[in-house]
Amino acid sequence: MELIERYIYAVTHRLPQSQREDIAKELRGLIEDMLEERGQEGHVTEKQVEEVLLELGEPRKLAEKYRGTKRYLIGPELFDHYLMVLKIALISAGVVIGATFIIQVTLDPPSILDSFISLIISTVNGLPMAFGWTTLVFAVIQFVGTKQLNVNLQEKKSWKPSDLPVVPDPKGRVKRGDAIAGIVFYTIFIAIFGFSNEYFGVWFFEDGKFHHVIPFFNEDSYGYYFLFIVLMFGFGIIKECLKLIYGRWTMKIVLFTTIVNIISCIGLLFIIAEPAIWNPNFMNQLVESGLVVAQSEAYDVISFIWEKSTFWLFILWVFGLVWDIVDGYIRVRRSKRSE
Amino acid sequence: MSDTNEHLDKLMQELRRGTLTIGVLSQLHEPQYGYSLVASLEERNFQVEAGTLYPLLRRLEKQGLLESKWDTNETRPRKYYLLSETGKEVFEQLVEEWKNMVGSLENLLQNKGGS
Repeated sequence: MELIERYIYAVTHRLPQSQREDIAKELRGLIEDMLEERGQEGHVTEKQVEEVLLELGEPRKLAEKYRGTKRYLIGPELFDHYLMVLKIALISAGVVIGATFIIQVTLDPPSILDSFISLIISTVNGLPMAFGWTTLVFAVIQFVGTKQLNVNLQEKKSWKPSDLPVVPDPKGRVKRGDAIAGIVFYTIFIAIFGFSNEYFGVWFFEDGKFHHVIPFFNEDSYGYYFLFIVLMFGFGIIKECLKLIYGRWTMKIVLFTTIVNIISCIGLLFIIAEPAIWNPNFMNQLVESGLVVAQSEAYDVISFIWEKSTFWLFILWVFGLVWDIVDGYIRVRRSKRSE
Repeated sequence: MSDTNEHLDKLMQELRRGTLTIGVLSQLHEPQYGYSLVASLEERNFQVEAGTLYPLLRRLEKQGLLESKWDTNETRPRKYYLLSETGKEVFEQLVEEWKNMVGSLENLLQNKGGS
């Protein structure tokens, strides 16, 4: 009976390899028993076979019952997080693509059509890529982590009401929008510093058309610093994610911020010690482009600013990092005041 | 009216699903294969579909409540299931729980609405 074999195959090929043979044997026996009950032995009609198979039901559903669990790429326990991360990834990708378009149009207005075409191409490429990678990562977490997650859930059985976190003071609460905006900004900064550092400088226009850039950065040694920048912003993204997960400022987040910021400061110190990150020919190029005249008053002022800027940027940056830590600490204190 | 039937159908399904395991375990003090079990349950007015019972038997075996053995001496090979030691213990306790539940539910039904 070919139909029976087709049915058995339809059930078993949805099951783990190790169980297939056994279940096939058992099912075959069952179907034969059911047929035997219906008619005289040896006289089995096609119609009777169909009846029996209909009684057993759809192969997909039967296989589901054998498996005992429903299958999914991303399970319900992960789905909320998945949606949130997906939103962040899509917004980031969209903003980066949009910003690239605006920059291109500003630089080169006449070829707006080309820019528009590349906008469409990068949208068609980029958004599915963001979607795909997010989904892949979550699918892997689902695949690898489901067992782990079950263990965690079981550990949580010994839950006590006193474990409930205090309702934080509104000032200590993390606003979701803020954290997501933070992640989007960090992503954009990585994109800008990583892929368009040659546009980061003084822009020159001639006859309303973009001509060239005198870059702030030293292109020769930029790759080395790029790693540092990605790390710094990458940690920033992790920090924002932690805020999203905890939903309020905690000592752990402040501690993490402190460690990351200290590392950032040390990294910055290295940059200061050997300021090769900056374009060494910046002043010469300014003069060559005819923007300033050498030895003029303007030249002296710009040159002064250029040379001192590293130092002041460092001071500003360190101040920002310290403030970041203090601000976090204050928020934690505030959120605990309502205890 | 069909709305009532629909609700009833769903609730009956849940009730059956809940009592299925205890019904199946009760018949496995002697080894039985799947289809003979369907027949013996039906004989006692306990409706169960083969497509539900077969996966359930496997699951109970995996949980260690049942033991199984293939018998290849008959006209066709059949897998026989039997209560394991753990299965017997669990069944005894399950029966106690079931009796308690029936008792308290009976009590509830006789005092509807606390009147």
